[in-house]
Amino acid sequence: MRQQPSATGSSVVGSRRPLGLAIDTTFDDTSVALVRGRRELLANVTLSQYADHAEFGGVVPERASRKHLEVIHPLIDAALAQAAEAGAQVTLDDLDYVAVSNLPGLLGSILVGMTVAKSLAYLLDIPLIGINHIEAHPYANFLVHGDPAFPLVHLVAAGGHTVLIHQTEHFRWRIVGRSVDDAAGECVDKVAKMFGHPMPGGPVVDRMAMAHASGAYDFPRPMLNGPDLDFSFSGLKTAMLYFLRDHGLPTPGEAAGDRISTPIEEGPVLAAFFASVTDVLVGKTLRAARRYGVRAVTVSGGLAASRKLRQCFEAACAQAGLRLYYPPPELCTDNAAMVGCLAAYRYEAGRFDDLSLEGYPNLPM
Amino acid sequence: MTGQIGGAATATAVATDGAVDAALSALAIDSTSDCLSLAVMKDGVPAASQYEDIGRRTTQEILPRIDALLKGAGLDARALDLLLVARGPGSFTGTRIGLAVAITFAQLTGRPLIGVDSLHLLAAQTDPAERRRFVVLLNCARDEVYHAAFRWRDGRLAMEGRIALSSLANLLPELGQTPVVLRRFNPGLATTAETEAAFARLTILPLRHAHPDAVRLLALGVPQYLEAPQRTWPRVTPIYLKSEAFRKWRPAP
Repeated sequence: MRQQPSATGSSVVGSRRPLGLAIDTTFDDTSVALVRGRRELLANVTLSQYADHAEFGGVVPERASRKHLEVIHPLIDAALAQAAEAGAQVTLDDLDYVAVSNLPGLLGSILVGMTVAKSLAYLLDIPLIGINHIEAHPYANFLVHGDPAFPLVHLVAAGGHTVLIHQTEHFRWRIVGRSVDDAAGECVDKVAKMFGHPMPGGPVVDRMAMAHASGAYDFPRPMLNGPDLDFSFSGLKTAMLYFLRDHGLPTPGEAAGDRISTPIEEGPVLAAFFASVTDVLVGKTLRAARRYGVRAVTVSGGLAASRKLRQCFEAACAQAGLRLYYPPPELCTDNAAMVGCLAAYRYEAGRFDDLSLEGYPNLPM
Repeated sequence: MTGQIGGAATATAVATDGAVDAALSALAIDSTSDCLSLAVMKDGVPAASQYEDIGRRTTQEILPRIDALLKGAGLDARALDLLLVARGPGSFTGTRIGLAVAITFAQLTGRPLIGVDSLHLLAAQTDPAERRRFVVLLNCARDEVYHAAFRWRDGRLAMEGRIALSSLANLLPELGQTPVVLRRFNPGLATTAETEAAFARLTILPLRHAHPDAVRLLALGVPQYLEAPQRTWPRVTPIYLKSEAFRKWRPAP
C-alpha cells in the first residue's frame, strides 16, 4: 500500500476549512484521501492491484471490481488512521462532503467506489460530488503548487488516456487533443512487455532512457507534425514489433529461437523508443501552449512520474519561456488526493451531485 | 472454474411471517438480481418492503429507494439496530452494490451486518410443512446452475452440504425424484429442448413470491441475530463461486 501523508500547505475558506473524503476506484488502484481545505492532505492511501492481475498480463475487469470491494472499507479506516498519525483526529462524522470519480474507467470498478461514496453521503447527510478522473489529474499539481493562474494547457498521460486539456478557469476546460488509439502509457507498457518486462512497464523504460543515449535507433514520431493536437501511439507500438521481428527476436506469441537473432542491446533500443514518445508528448503540448497562448503547462498522469519525460519538458519549456508544473511521483499515478483537491473547489462553488449519480466508462467527446 | 461454499453447520430459525419478539429495527437489501428488493423492520415487525425489476439501474436507484422506505416507516438510517444483505450467488455487480451499501452502513453505524446467501432466501420461501429434502436451483449462465439441498426440521431450515455450481446437464440426472425450487433470474439462460423436458419431469415446489423478497432476509437474518446478539459477526463477503476469469478476458485498455 502506498501511503503519502504529505501535508502540503493550506488554504483558508471561511472560519473553518471543509473536510472532504475522496475515493477513486476507476481502474486497478483503490485510493482514499482526506483533504482539508483545498490542499491540506491529511491522508492519501492507495492499494495497487498490479500483482493481482500479473498472471493475465493485463487488468481483468471482474477481478478489479472484486478487489475494490474487498479493500475499500479497510482503506477508509486506514485513511482515518493515517490522518490521526499525522495529528489530525478526524472521524467520518467530521466530513463536509464525499467525492468520488464517476468516470472514465472500468464501470464495474467505478460502481464500487461510487456506491460507497453515495452511502456515506446519504448517512452523513452531506454533499456528494462526482468527479471526472481525467479533469482531476491536473489538480495533483494544484495540490502541491497552489492556486493556478489560468489559462493553462494540461497534458494528462494516464494509463488509459493521453489528452491535452485547455483550461480557462475551474470547471471550464476542453479536451483539445487526445489519443486516437493507444494511450502513451499503454504503448510504453506494451513495448516493455515485448521485451519481457512485467506491468507496469513505465519505470523500466524510464530507467533505460535515463541510462542510455537515444540516438542509436530512429523510431517513428507518430502525428508529431500533423496539423491537429491528437496523438497516435499504435503505429509506434507496431514499429517496435517489426523491429523485434526484423532482428530475429521473438515477438509476443513466438518461441525464442524460432529465428536467427541479431544481437541488440535492450537499453539503447528502449531509450530510442522512449525518445519517440517524449518527442511527441512534448511537441504536441508546446504546440497547444502556442495555439492557446498560455504561459504555463502542467503534466500529470502515471507517465509524468518519468524522470526522462520531465527532463525533456524542462528543457523544452525553458526554451519556450513556459512555466512547467508536475506533481511529485506519488501523485502522478491514480490517487484520490487529486480527486479531493478538485472536489474542494467544487464544494466551495456549491456544485454537487445527488444520490442518482451515474458512472460512465468513457470520457465524453 | 467452479467452486463450492460451505453450508450452515446448524439449522437456521426462520420467522415465517417475518415478525420477531423483540423491539428491533433493521434494513434488508437484496440486489443480487435485476430485481432490487428492500425491506425494513420496525419494533420487530416488517414495516415496509418493495421489489422492482430495475435492470441495471441498481446503483442509481438503491439509495433513494432506501431513503424513501426508511422515511415512510419513520426510521432513521443511523439508528438502525441491524443490517442484512443478500451475499449472492447472483449478479456479480448487483451483489457488490448491495454489499457496498450494507458494509458502509455497518461501518458508519457500528451495527452488526449479517449476510444470507441467495439459496437460503429461496429455500425460505417454501412451505415449512414440507418434510422432504429439496434442492434449490438458481441459474448462473447458460448451462450452469447454483444449487444446494435443504430440509425443514421443526420450523428451522437446514442446508445439507454446500452451495455448488454445476452444469445443468450433469445435475439433472442426480436430482431423480428430489423436489426442487427453480429460479431463473437470467432471462438469457438458454436451455436445450432435452433440458426443458427434464425440467417438466421435476417436482417443482411453489415459491410464495415470484420475485426476490427482502422480507425473507429479515425472516432468516433477524432470528440469527437474536440467538447471539452480542456476537461479533464476521465480515460479510460476496459469494461468487465462479472465477473472475470464467471466460477469456480481453485485458482492459
